[in-house]
Amino acid sequence: MNKYNVINTPVHNIDGIAKITGRAQYTFDVKLPGMLYGKILRSPHAHAKILHIDTSKAEALTGVKGIVTGNDTIGIRQGIWRRFKELCDEEILARETVRYIGEPVAAVAAIDEDTAEEAMDLIEVEYEPLPGVFEPLDAIKADAPQLHEHAERNINVTRHIEWGDVDEAFLKADYIREDWFRCSSQHHVCMETHCAVASYTPDKKLTVYTSTQSHYYIQVLLSWTLGIRENDIRVISRYTGGGFGSKFELDSAQFCSSLLSMKLFKPVKIVLTREEEFIATKRRTAMFYYLRTGVKKDGSFVAKEARVFTEGGAYTSMGATALYLTGFFQAFPYVWPSYRYDGYRVYTNTSPSSAMRGFGAPQATFCAETQIDLIAKELGIDRMDIRRKNAMYPGYEVPGQATIQSCGLMECLDKIDTWIKSRGKLPANQGIGIAAYGFMSGGIFNWFDTPYAFSSAIVQVNIDGKVDLYIGSQDMGQGSNTTMSIICAEELGVKVEDIRIHMGDTENCPVDIGAWGSRETLMQGNAVKRAAADAKQQIIEFAAAKLSPNIVYDLDIKDRWIHLVSRPERGLSFFDVVKEAIRAKEGLTIIGRGHYTPHRKGMISPAYSFGVQAVEAHIDPDTGKITLKNCVTAHDCGQVINPIGVEGQLEGAMAMAAGYGFTEDLPMEDGKIMNPNLVDYKLLRTTEMPETKVIEVETYEPEGPFGAKEAGEGLTNPTAGALGNAIYHATGLSIKELPFTPEKILHAIREQKKKK
Amino acid sequence: MAYKCPSCGKIWPDTLNLARHIFGTGDQPHKDWVNSKGYNFIELLLIQTMEPGNKGYKTLADLLEKEAEKV
Repeated sequence: MNKYNVINTPVHNIDGIAKITGRAQYTFDVKLPGMLYGKILRSPHAHAKILHIDTSKAEALTGVKGIVTGNDTIGIRQGIWRRFKELCDEEILARETVRYIGEPVAAVAAIDEDTAEEAMDLIEVEYEPLPGVFEPLDAIKADAPQLHEHAERNINVTRHIEWGDVDEAFLKADYIREDWFRCSSQHHVCMETHCAVASYTPDKKLTVYTSTQSHYYIQVLLSWTLGIRENDIRVISRYTGGGFGSKFELDSAQFCSSLLSMKLFKPVKIVLTREEEFIATKRRTAMFYYLRTGVKKDGSFVAKEARVFTEGGAYTSMGATALYLTGFFQAFPYVWPSYRYDGYRVYTNTSPSSAMRGFGAPQATFCAETQIDLIAKELGIDRMDIRRKNAMYPGYEVPGQATIQSCGLMECLDKIDTWIKSRGKLPANQGIGIAAYGFMSGGIFNWFDTPYAFSSAIVQVNIDGKVDLYIGSQDMGQGSNTTMSIICAEELGVKVEDIRIHMGDTENCPVDIGAWGSRETLMQGNAVKRAAADAKQQIIEFAAAKLSPNIVYDLDIKDRWIHLVSRPERGLSFFDVVKEAIRAKEGLTIIGRGHYTPHRKGMISPAYSFGVQAVEAHIDPDTGKITLKNCVTAHDCGQVINPIGVEGQLEGAMAMAAGYGFTEDLPMEDGKIMNPNLVDYKLLRTTEMPETKVIEVETYEPEGPFGAKEAGEGLTNPTAGALGNAIYHATGLSIKELPFTPEKILHAIREQKKKK
Repeated sequence: MAYKCPSCGKIWPDTLNLARHIFGTGDQPHKDWVNSKGYNFIELLLIQTMEPGNKGYKTLADLLEKEAEKV
């Protein structure tokens, strides 16, 4: 039985009607009076010096209103790691050197897009090409071209994690296994490409409509790079058509449209084309992974050593965090008595790699789970048993890193085990692979050095009982507006339809640091719950005065009914009490405030989700083609807030993660992405989706609102590993390089036949 | 006994943790200190990854044992 009135009941997306009827206004739809259209000229070179830019012919073209280059900027090298100067290494409009194909060098504003496009052909840029380096293991060589003056051997960032005596532990291991893996890159492929409409007015105020995961970050980054006071910039992002980690850094559309608007005092709109989206925005970090693992004969883990080189691309971006997180999640979701990780992020002349759903964890999970199956096979141990034997548990402390409070991993393993057994004997060339995983519920990363609370919320109860909820978090399609409405309604004792949400506008919403790192449910959710509790307390105090109960009785609000907890029939209408309370307060509305910032919660996150996924796949031995048959996931997300939301998130994550596993790739030649379009970049289509089943394993997370944790991002972690293990169980082939293309599978089959 | 970072003065309980701090910080003053002692900061970092046994960190920790101020 559900102990809540709203929580854990299926609630359809509250933005759903606006979206499916086409009334939701995305940045793409914004049109302002007198608006100009911008285009960005990008470098055709992977590495070159800019010698001279001549814009005179372009400026003379009829319809062109203005052009900006790096010389029109104040020359800030920006980045999200504001506290570390060397990690702020990217100028949005390059002034002296370009370091990847697609790097912006100039931007044009014209009366329409065609004219702006034509003008770009008339801008003459004289480059001096420089030698480039494209692979991290080449870039660290002593004779490799150096991309940045400060980065000897192109090493951008290093990360080290260590606990226990690793070397001593390896001496005690009965079995040691070493493997190298290559994890590919992946593009976010948001339905809405990066875009912005900027309007600078003579009163020195800048308004920017944009598609973003964090309007606060964009406000601050624009302030820094344009030299405008933070609160003279208003960022509006009511609807965002997908983010997946690609939209919380300052992008070329935001910066160039703002710079052009400041020059021209006209609104300027820039929408990136799909090709620009592929070549000139960020992407998932490709990694070279070495794993050395020591175990006892009975399958107990004793030591692990991981070394990683990541293909960083030309700038730091969010890649430093991906570098740390891949090392942290390499140890998940198991207990390792000793562990050592060394990760190096290496600059290359490719588009910068950055955050993407999973943030380094899908790569870690693929490598770790592939190797665990190989170890289990070598030792003759059941793959479930080896995972059970070493699984994390509630109360476990990851040394120096994190404390696991709630953990339903063991139950997830049991559920998946039961499902696999129910499948019985599979047809030839068909196998089931599994992967266990965990993920953070809100990153504790204040790269930005913000003095604000991580999340804030304001609840205003109006005279008719309608509740205005003001939040700073960003709904980018993941459904956080719905989740926040549910949390607010439950805490306040009203219905979801009583909540009116206000978000996506720095002018009238409190600060939240953004929709990344699976933050929203736990962090923004806690702020909303606290704000609602604050308002509720004010209402209850007034109701108590009216009801005059014995002071040992507690009051509560459920389903718009304020009542004695022990005698629910005795109470008052929520609406009546609110009306009278406002009248009694000389007309002041009831306002509750709440905020949340994690304290003493370790290095990574206040809480962790867990799960196990099973993927059943058929491998055609003649063509190498993979057909997904089933995908079943047992997921511990704490208390489910909205079952429909969880299901949608888990299925969406699975589609994206399966794409990472076997269809999506970004092949490059000399730094040029060879498939920058949706024909050649192969997303998983609906017809290729397998039957999916989600088994919710409920736990109670003390740090989460109503016990909730993340659901959605973590599910991107297991699929590549589970699919790899399905191939292994179907064919006996372990492929250690993503994605599992038919060519790689056929090659492995041929090699296997040769050996036989 | 604790050890003081010769570059920024931060205190660490042992030289291995101090070595981790120096590699992890990796800014120019920390790099310069290591390089001034006849080692190459980047080479030590790469040895850590290219060779087994925590060699890069141990080499720096040994150096710090001799050079860092004990507090």
